[in-house]
Formats: sequence, structure tokens, C-alpha cells
Amino acid sequence: MSSISKNTNVYPLVVLVSILYIVYGVLQIYNGIIVWWLTYLSLKPLQLGFSFNGVYIPNAFPEPFSGIFLIVISAVFLKATYLYYKGYEKHRGFLFMGWLLAMMMLVLNITVIVADILDVYYPLVWGGTVDEGWTLASDTWGIAPHLFIGIIALPIYWSIKDMIKELMPG
Amino acid sequence: MTTLRKFIKVALAGNPNVGKSVVFNNLTGSRQHVGNWPGKTVDKKEGFHRHGERELYIVDLPGTYSLTAFSAEEMIARDYIIYEKPDVVVNIVDASNLERNLYLTLQLLELGVNIVIALNKMDLVKKEDIDIDVNTLQKELGIPIIPTVAPRKEGMSNLVKAIVNTVKSSKSEYNILRYDPKIEKYIDKLEGFISFTEISKFYRPRWVAIKLLEKDDDVKRKISSMKDGKRVLDKASELEADMENEVGDPEVAIANARYDFIKKIISKVVKGKGKLTASDLLDQALLDKFLGIPIFLAILWWVLQIAFIGSAPFCDFLGDLFVYIGTALEGITGQPYIDYLLFGDYGIIQGLGAILSFVPLIMALYFVLAIFEDSGYMARAAFVMDRVMKKLGLSGRTIVPMIMGVGCNVPAVYATRIIPDENDRMIAILTNPLVMCGARLVFFSAIAAAFFGAYAGDVILSLYVLGFVLVFIVAIILRKTLFRGKPSPFVIEFPTYQRPSLKVAAVRMWDRGSLFFKKAGTVILLGLIVIGILTTTNASTFAFTDNPEMAIISAIGKFFQPIFAPLGWDWRLIVAAIFGFVAKEIVLGASAMLYGVGEEQIASKMASMYSPIDMFGYMTFIQIYIPCIVTVAAIKQETGSWKWTAFAVIYGIVLAYIVNWLVLVIGHGVFG
Repeated sequence: MSSISKNTNVYPLVVLVSILYIVYGVLQIYNGIIVWWLTYLSLKPLQLGFSFNGVYIPNAFPEPFSGIFLIVISAVFLKATYLYYKGYEKHRGFLFMGWLLAMMMLVLNITVIVADILDVYYPLVWGGTVDEGWTLASDTWGIAPHLFIGIIALPIYWSIKDMIKELMPG
Repeated sequence: MTTLRKFIKVALAGNPNVGKSVVFNNLTGSRQHVGNWPGKTVDKKEGFHRHGERELYIVDLPGTYSLTAFSAEEMIARDYIIYEKPDVVVNIVDASNLERNLYLTLQLLELGVNIVIALNKMDLVKKEDIDIDVNTLQKELGIPIIPTVAPRKEGMSNLVKAIVNTVKSSKSEYNILRYDPKIEKYIDKLEGFISFTEISKFYRPRWVAIKLLEKDDDVKRKISSMKDGKRVLDKASELEADMENEVGDPEVAIANARYDFIKKIISKVVKGKGKLTASDLLDQALLDKFLGIPIFLAILWWVLQIAFIGSAPFCDFLGDLFVYIGTALEGITGQPYIDYLLFGDYGIIQGLGAILSFVPLIMALYFVLAIFEDSGYMARAAFVMDRVMKKLGLSGRTIVPMIMGVGCNVPAVYATRIIPDENDRMIAILTNPLVMCGARLVFFSAIAAAFFGAYAGDVILSLYVLGFVLVFIVAIILRKTLFRGKPSPFVIEFPTYQRPSLKVAAVRMWDRGSLFFKKAGTVILLGLIVIGILTTTNASTFAFTDNPEMAIISAIGKFFQPIFAPLGWDWRLIVAAIFGFVAKEIVLGASAMLYGVGEEQIASKMASMYSPIDMFGYMTFIQIYIPCIVTVAAIKQETGSWKWTAFAVIYGIVLAYIVNWLVLVIGHGVFG
């Protein structure tokens, strides 16, 4: 049985995270469309963030499907917010799901970076050479919105930890 | 009138996991026997219970959610009650899930049998601060209800007393559900019609009327062989059509009416609002009407991404390792023929390496999917997708293998095991190779870039879309011809969410993945040897040749050339397609070899020989035609039939040919 504690402080953060997900989701879709399909328009991908040593943080790399996923996370968080303000207890289900999806994207971004590093350096196993080493700037994903917003969403954990404990005791 | 019967036949009926077996064990103790239902692989448990002078013969019917005729369990339970005519049916009802359980109760009442309800799991209800007014429930349904807690044997003696009393005061009519007048008038008309026929001597007319309006195939079959059967079926069809015009699908309308009735009862008898568990709360999001499907698609996208990206370095490593081994061993045999066959550019070692390099990807996919399965989510995903897939003639569960097919058709074909209905599963297996797998992308990416430049992405996307559209078209055709019937209704009990066990996922991954190793060591190796020999053996002298144009494979290509002449192919494209049978990735490499250029130049070489429309047609052919050899082996294993395996291969080739031809006709017609 869930001992549900309504944490009202979390929702400003949830709204912020929702807005970030939707903004970067739209950016990724736009960048994906112009780079994948409408290349003949010769439009430049848009970035919204800051550049550090040639690395955009967060890097809205062109990927329409990834963008759609970010918008889905935003929709889940927004529904949680709506239900919360309407006074429905089930807002916590959406809050939990939104956080879970956010963490999945965070893990995916880290996996991509680790896999890209391995892919560049594995020829060293049999004494091969590496033409061009891995850098964050050369990584397709880099620090994508998935990792960046995921870190911002981490504190939501404190509002749903009782649910996690109930679902996964021990 | 009171009857004193010493031998009482009792059937235990109920949904799965309601504690039916525990009640059966409580009542029969050691006096029980387990066998099989005649002609079925479903357990039949029977036993005895002594109550004073009376002997109760108790049969534990298979757990079912309803008494429709969609599964072996439902047929057994229904036929037993109709034909064996037990004196009492004890309906074990899970008190913590009344809404779902009472659906079966209503269907039992429609059969007109003596019923006693064992309202089980009352302890759980109390724990959740819910109060069930048993007296009101008893009054609403008009049957005895005994609260029980089976594991603690609470209520068992009351249950036995109720069984005996029910036999003593056997009555013929209960508070049966009266449907909405719009539905009831059709039931009444048909019931009246049946009452004046021979059928009413064997079956309860009202029950037959409802079943016929619900389009129950089993009842239709049984009625058709009886006297007056044809007349009744004609009348039923007529009324069914009228009813459909008035209230929509009769089956759905009747099911909805039952649930409405149940909801009304529950509103009267269930007091107190149970607290929502974390599992309930999570289901609110995962099963949400609008967000359920997007969440599912997002999770599947994540699964594919993490499996593909996470396994990529390991796949690349294995691929390179085999190239390294092949190069290192070149010349070791001292026999040019054997050496080329084993270690050449398209030799067995490199071919095997190309295929084994997919092992990390397949293992990663299995592992991630096993984690989701173990967490309890997969059952919900299938449920969420059911309403979309059903409209297309497919079971909701089909979505999982379909999406897996985007990665690789081999694990996708094995993943159809999650589909319980044999017809649904066969359709899913036979259509899965139409989904564009990652292997085909290797060829398409290179060709699309050369032929379509800036539009390459659109062309590849169109091939993905083409694959899915064809899956749905072929599924609809198969459903209307070879695998007639509706997709089986999707009744599923959601498992409780739990922390996925990495050990369980690893074991499951290995169990499924090891099949791939077996195939690589048998079918694939054999296929590669055959193709290797055909490529290195001179067609005239049968001596070694490293010129494919002189080899048997070229003769085979030229032999088939007239068939493919309408598609504008030369023999090399035919041979490249044949190479693709081993693994679709090989199409690119084979083309390069046959046109005598490197893989980097093949696209531009082909661009100088074919128009973009010709090449788009060829791509559609490669997308649709014969599945690769490993997929064919998987289809054979999963269908257990050479006939269906051959069907998958042949229809794929025919369909590919037709689509390719249509592309040429329409493409040249529009663009010249």
C-alpha cells in the first residue's frame, strides 16, 4: 500500500523540466527534418544552450524520433501537473512514469557516450591504431538534452521514492 | 420439493489465480486425482469430500475469465457445465477484484445452473479498508454467497453446507441479467423462436440466443447439426444484422451491458474507497487512453537504441576479429581453392563472422526485453496496443515482435512465442520478414545516397513505411483466407510490477540467444559453404575460379534472367539477391564483387547503369523478397512446418516481384 505523501514543492520543477523537454524535443525534430530529409533547403540546425570548447550543452542533435520521445516525457509530466492541480491522486502515477522515462533517457545518453568511446578505441586490443581519438565534440550525441535535463529531473526522485520502495521492496 | 441426494456432483469454476486450487485442495485433501481432459493437454483435477452421509464429487474446472469459446480452457469449462450437468457450480470469486470476476458469474447465471459463490480473498479486501455488503450482493444475484479465505481454510464448512442446501432447494430461475431494452428485444425474439424448436430440449433457449447473437462459432457449429438448426441460425443472422444496425457490434454491446450491470451491483455493495497502490498509480499512466501508446512507442524506441548503440562496439569488434582471423590464416592450407573458399573476401570465415558479429546485438535486445518482461510491463504494452492492432487483424501482442523486426527478424520471429493464439501467431510469423531489418539498411543506405542524394533519407523512410503497410495488408489477407476468424480477444491478467532480476534476464537472454549460435553452426555454415562453392567453381570445367562471371553462380543468375527481364535486371543483380538469402548485408558486398569494383564504388557504378526508378524498384524487391536464411530457419523452427516455411519464402518473392513491377510501371509512367 502506498503511503502517499503529497509533495507540493516538486511541481515548479516538474513544469520547468516539462518546458525544457518540449523545447528540446521540437528542436531535435526540426534539426532532424532539415538534416535527414530536407537537406536541399540547406538550413542550419538550431541550438539552444551554450558552447564550451566547441561542444554544445545541451546538444540538440538531429533526430526526429528522439525529439518525439522528449515531447512524450513532457506530456507525461504535464499531465501529472494537471492532475495534481485538479486534486487527483493519480497524478503520482504520471509523475513516477515521467521521472522513469527521464532517467531512461539519461542512462541512454551515458550508454551512447561509453559505446562511442569503446568503438573508437577497441582496435587497440590487437595492437591496431586509432586514426582520430574520441572527443565530446566529435560524439554525435555528446551531452544531449537527455543527459542535461535528466540531471535537472533527478531531485523528483524524493517525491516518488515511496512508490519505488513499494514496487521494489528491499 | 426437497431432494435427498447422497452423491453430489460439484464443479469449481473461476478466473485464474482466484484461489480455486486451494479451495479444491481444502475440500478434497488427499482424496484427489489429477489427469488430463480428454483430447486436451489441460489438467483435470477431480476429488471427493465426505459431508455426513453425502459424498461430494468435485471437479476443478480450468481457470477462465469468461465462457466464450476462444480457448481450450473456456471450451472445457463450458462443455462440462452444459453436458455433464453438475448439481452445483461453485464460482470462486476474488473479492478484491469483483468487477472482473463477476463477468464469469453472469455468464454462469445465463447457463441456468445452480451456483454458490465462494467470495474468496476476503482478508485482502479488509486489509484495503474495503467493505463488501455480502447480503446485498446475495440479494442482487439471487444466489448463496459464502465469504472465504482459502489459505486459512476459513468459510470451507459454510461453503459445503451451502452446496448441500442448494441441491436440496434446487430452483430453476435466478435473478438473471436483463439487458438494455434495445438488446433485450433481440434476445427475446430469438429466445422465443428457439423455444419452439428441438434445440430447447438440449440447451437453455435464452443462453443459445445470447450466444448466437454474440456470434459464438462453437454454438453455431453445434446448433447447425441439430434438427431446426438451419432455421435457428438463419433467424439469428437476420436478428444479428438488425441488432448491429441498431446498437453496433452485438458482441461488444452485450459485453458492455454485462459490465454496466456489474458496475451497478458494485456501486451498491462495495463501501469504502480502497487506497491506490503504487502499481495502480503506475497503471494509470501506462494504460492511459492517450499517453499509453506514445509511452509504449517511446519505450520501444529506447529499447532499440540501447540495444543497437550499446552493442555496436562489440558487434564491430567481432566483425573485425573475423576479418583479422581470415587474413591471418590466408594461405595456410596451400590449396588456392580451399583457401579462397575458407578465407577469401566472401569466404566462409568472413561470412560466418559477418553473421556472428550480430550476436551482441541479439543478446542485448533479448536482455533488455527480458528486463521489461520481468518487470511486468510487457503485458501492459500488449494490452495498450491491442485496440490498434485488432483493427488490422492482428493480436495486440504482435506489436512486440514487429518492432523487434526493425532490429532483426530472427529474434522477432522467436518473440512471437508471446502470442498464445495459434492463428494470430502464424500471421505474426509469416508477416514479420516484411519489416525492414537493420541488415537491409546496409545496402539501402549506400544505394539511396548514390541514386537519390539529398532525398536518401526520404527513400529509406519510405521503405520502412512500405514494410509496415505490407505487414498490415498481408495480415488482413491471411486473416480473411488461410487463418480465418477474428484476432482472439485479449484477456490478460496483469502481473504485479516488480524489480527485474538481472539473473533472470541473463538466463532468458542465454536461452533464446543460444538458438542463434546453433543456427550459425548449422544452417548458416551450410549455406555459406554452398554459396562459396558455387562462386568459386567454374561452370564449364568445374575447376577453381576466382572470376565470379565464370562460376556456377553466374550461370544460375543467367538462368533466371528471363524471369527478371521485365524488372530490367541483369544477371548480377539476380546473383546479388541470391547472396542476400544468406544475409541481407551481403547484397552490397556481392554486388561490388560481381561488378568488379570495391564497396565504396559500387553505388556510383550502379548509378551509371540504372535509373533511380529502376534502383528504387530493386530496393523494394530486396526489402520484401525471401527472408534471410537465419530467418527462414527461425520460421521453420517456430511454425514446425516446411509447408509454411516454403509459403513465407514463395509469397515474399511473388509479392516483391509485383511491388517492384508496380514501382517501374507507376514510376516510369509518372516520371518517364
